[in-house]
Amino acid sequence: MSAIAVTLRFHRTLYMLQAVREAARIYGEFAKFQISTDGDYYVANVSDPDPEVDGDIAREFANQALVGSIARRRHKAA
Amino acid sequence: MKTVDILTLSAETNTVTLTLETGLYPIEVVYGAAYVFIDRAWVLLDRKPNEGAGIASRLLVHLTGKRKLDEAALAAFAGEFSNECLAQALRRKVTKANQKIVEEIVTQAIAGAAGASLPQDFLDEDASDSMDFLDDPLGIAVPWEDKFKKKAPAKDGGEAK
Repeated sequence: MSAIAVTLRFHRTLYMLQAVREAARIYGEFAKFQISTDGDYYVANVSDPDPEVDGDIAREFANQALVGSIARRRHKAA
Repeated sequence: MKTVDILTLSAETNTVTLTLETGLYPIEVVYGAAYVFIDRAWVLLDRKPNEGAGIASRLLVHLTGKRKLDEAALAAFAGEFSNECLAQALRRKVTKANQKIVEEIVTQAIAGAAGASLPQDFLDEDASDSMDFLDDPLGIAVPWEDKFKKKAPAKDGGEAK
């Protein structure tokens, strides 16, 4: 999955833009990220993954975006 | 009515997709379950496209195992996720039910701790309290035997018990 460009779509009611951007910043060391908006979705294009990285950068990025969204929502609710 | 459905299951992509009714599983519950699975799976949440207007009433949960799983293991994975949703829902309900009690206990604990350490309580040197530290107006220092012993009869001089 990491060998080619990957597009991930995050529903705006489930993910927070700051969390997606923060995840892109964290994994920016290992791949190129482009975040945009398309209707109800934040769209992340993941390209140029570091060939030396042993792992799925795009999916780890998605997990990080989810964790960040959960943390931010909980912080907001508290 | 089924509340958790496996929409797709593929051992080839190592992914199982569930749909959840948001009326039964609020988003906080699904977040909680997703958080528990984050070390074992790549989790992607989505909403099922709605035919009508408004927010879709069903959530899609895509779980991709970090380890290779066969179909049976993926189905078990989905079952575990729905069980975790139930556990999170119950936890949320209990937390809500006990919120007032927890707040009360915490408030009392903080108030007690703050009250015990107020420095002005110890600095009030102008207090009109003229008592010595050896004074015992409540009789706390009086031994039990002295306080409750039977008085000896006055005439026969018998021993008190």
